[in-house]
Amino acid sequence: MLKIYPVLAAVGLLISIVSVIRKSSFFNFLGILILLFGLLKSAGLFIPPFPGQVITMYMAMSIFSFLIYFSIQEETFQAFLEPMRAVLGDEDKKILRVLIVFIALPLLTGFITYTKVVPVYEPPVSARIVHPEPPSQMEFRGKTINVIGLENPLRKDTANFAKNVEDGKKIYYQNCFYCHGDDLDGKGHLAQAYNPLPLPFRGGDTIAQLPESFVFWRVSKGWRGLPAGSGPWNSSMPSFEDFLTEEEVWKVSMFIYEATGNKPRT
Amino acid sequence: MAEVSVTKGLIKGVVKLTVLLTVGFVCLFLFGKILSAPTEDGYRFFPMLGSRVWVWIIAQLHLNFAAFVLGVPIFAVSMEFLSWRRTDDRLDRIAYDFTKLFTLAYTLTAIAGTVLMVSLPLLYPKFMGHLMDILGPTWWLYIVVMYGEVLVCYYYFYSWHQMKDKKGVHVAIGVLLNFMGLTMLLITSSWVGYMTTPGGVSETGALINRWAAIKTYMWIPLSLHRLVANVVFGAGIAAAYAAYRFITSETDEDRAYYDWMGYTSAMISIGFSLILPGIGYLLGVEIYAYNEQMGIQLMGGFFAWLWVMQAILIGAILMFVNYYLWISLNKMPGGERYFKYVKFLFIIMLLGYTVWLTPHSVALSLEEARRIGAYHPILGNLGVMAAKNTAVVISYLATFLSFAIFKMSNKEPVVPWAKAGNAIRIILVLGSSVAMLGIGVYSYMVTSAVRVKVLSPIQFGIFFVTIIALFILDNMMYKNAKIIGEPRWGKMPERSQYALIGITVTFTWLMAMMGYMRSGGRQYWHVYGIMKDTSPDAYLPTHGYAAIVCSTVTVLFFLFIGLLFWSIMKLEKAQAAKGGAKA
Repeated sequence: MLKIYPVLAAVGLLISIVSVIRKSSFFNFLGILILLFGLLKSAGLFIPPFPGQVITMYMAMSIFSFLIYFSIQEETFQAFLEPMRAVLGDEDKKILRVLIVFIALPLLTGFITYTKVVPVYEPPVSARIVHPEPPSQMEFRGKTINVIGLENPLRKDTANFAKNVEDGKKIYYQNCFYCHGDDLDGKGHLAQAYNPLPLPFRGGDTIAQLPESFVFWRVSKGWRGLPAGSGPWNSSMPSFEDFLTEEEVWKVSMFIYEATGNKPRT
Repeated sequence: MAEVSVTKGLIKGVVKLTVLLTVGFVCLFLFGKILSAPTEDGYRFFPMLGSRVWVWIIAQLHLNFAAFVLGVPIFAVSMEFLSWRRTDDRLDRIAYDFTKLFTLAYTLTAIAGTVLMVSLPLLYPKFMGHLMDILGPTWWLYIVVMYGEVLVCYYYFYSWHQMKDKKGVHVAIGVLLNFMGLTMLLITSSWVGYMTTPGGVSETGALINRWAAIKTYMWIPLSLHRLVANVVFGAGIAAAYAAYRFITSETDEDRAYYDWMGYTSAMISIGFSLILPGIGYLLGVEIYAYNEQMGIQLMGGFFAWLWVMQAILIGAILMFVNYYLWISLNKMPGGERYFKYVKFLFIIMLLGYTVWLTPHSVALSLEEARRIGAYHPILGNLGVMAAKNTAVVISYLATFLSFAIFKMSNKEPVVPWAKAGNAIRIILVLGSSVAMLGIGVYSYMVTSAVRVKVLSPIQFGIFFVTIIALFILDNMMYKNAKIIGEPRWGKMPERSQYALIGITVTFTWLMAMMGYMRSGGRQYWHVYGIMKDTSPDAYLPTHGYAAIVCSTVTVLFFLFIGLLFWSIMKLEKAQAAKGGAKA
């Protein structure tokens, strides 16, 4: 199916080029939209595909923007309207009018409606919240900790930095790597069993965006600590306060930052 | 309307306000007796809609009108001042038209305010009792200032023609009107500030220090944000009014005037909107400083998706603005020379819009989630602050260039250094674009603290320095320039006017949505951390539901605004007929 899309993009490009030569802005508009749709869909051949929701957003924006573009100059705008006027009004285009207005458009509407209402057996699309908000205070094995402004106490112990990171590595491999992976890329042995997939720690858009207090809270409390205000949540993260000490959580946090070359947000 | 004498006008204003306040207090008393007692935890329930949605709609409607009547006087007075100093009748007419608009809108604002004044204590008696305990004196001050403002407003409007020879005094009255408007804005912002970032009370909500309860973290940033947004919004409504009048005009003279009014209002609106992101940033910083949890909730948590919607809407506004400026080249003699640049500006705008609306976290089906993993390699990188800030500043710069092109399209510079000036302009635009892009790319490589506190301000700084430099350069280059021809005001296709209406409708919807986010940040608290919301509505609605309520408010607001426009036109026609009959 994916291989059709480059062809579609090529067709769109061809329509666009011919329309530019023939000065038909309406068909140029259609050609550009087909080209863009084909390109967005074809991306799936080289990289993970763009989600349907994002393609819908891009296409809606393109329709809006190109409508604007083709109506700036009067001459172009009139040329844009010309084919629609001709189909709807010209005497010699009766057959085309019937074909488009009474057959093609209702069929297209019916098809779109069908695709929207046909029963599917997939779980509903979920809008994932990336950063649940931590509480201002949390309980860790009965001890009250202020999350706001909380810093990793082990980072002050610069003499034992390497040792603490090494300890964190051991803890990681005993507890976390099954899901978050050997390479801290979220591709552990058990990862595929979960939806959503476990987060990768590499790259600049997960732990690099977070203060270490957040990581401490998230690791310690797991799914049980997620805020009630934004539920229901979809998370399988265990509450590691059941298995690790406070110091061990800080150590593992140090390891995941160090191993991925990231720094906690300050 | 303007035929009414000043005294009669003042009496009319005071009577209207007094009647509405009296109706409000009588309703409160009667409904308080008729309705069943509130629940044990202090709630009554509004039929069908529920209390929350009812108050939400009324409060937002009231706020929209209040934004309008507080924002428009600022530039009505500015226009009057300019007309006085430059003795330009056209500026005086536009100032008068704006004044006519906001004077009539006062009545609608007060009606919505009265409904809100009745609804809140009846539906939320315990919560309102608490607010009165803490901030009660500010409420009474609010009523006093409101009376003062109505008196000054009606005096300002009804004395317009009588005081045409005392423009200086009249402008001073306008300044006083704005001062009172600002005072009202500060009072109402203190209420919202207390609810969201409370201070001056004990953990149980007992008053410790009233001034601290007024002077909360949010008070000044919110007031500043509202003040500027009010000008943007008020100017937008005036632009929509001008567009409506343009479309319905029957003479070329009227079309020319309303075309100019629409252009002036739209440019004021967009000009002021340039500083909104900075003030919004300040508001965000204050919220984070008060409570990081609330900050994360608003920016990256439950409300993250609404920021994508905000990007879609602001992108649409910028597209509408550019469209209006590009289409305006048609009316400028010599404007056709610049159409060749429009396609490049369009591509920049389109790319900027694409980056800006790209979400960081997306709604995925199970299959998509499996194939993409945690983050898409392209979307994950475009959806972050480094890319978005860069897209915003570049899009704003392109919009400024569209404006600059429009302004100079009917002129030719005569200064001997014109060629060098053009070269400097190109260097400024390209140099600043490369610098902003470079900083955007570098932002990926630094810690978030450096990105937020150092690189983003530098990016915005470069943008502002560039547009100021371009503005000064153009003014020097085009001083005494050869005029190819005067703008053909009124020679605009009707579709251009729908762009102006589009800007205002989008902005109104945006205000409703951002207001919901600010209020929703409190989650299940009436007063954050002090007084819990224990009603059945103590949950955040889905984004879809919130969008429906915001849309309903927007539609209702424009129905009322349409009514306002229609009544102004009807009054004008009646006056014209009366004048004709006399003649």
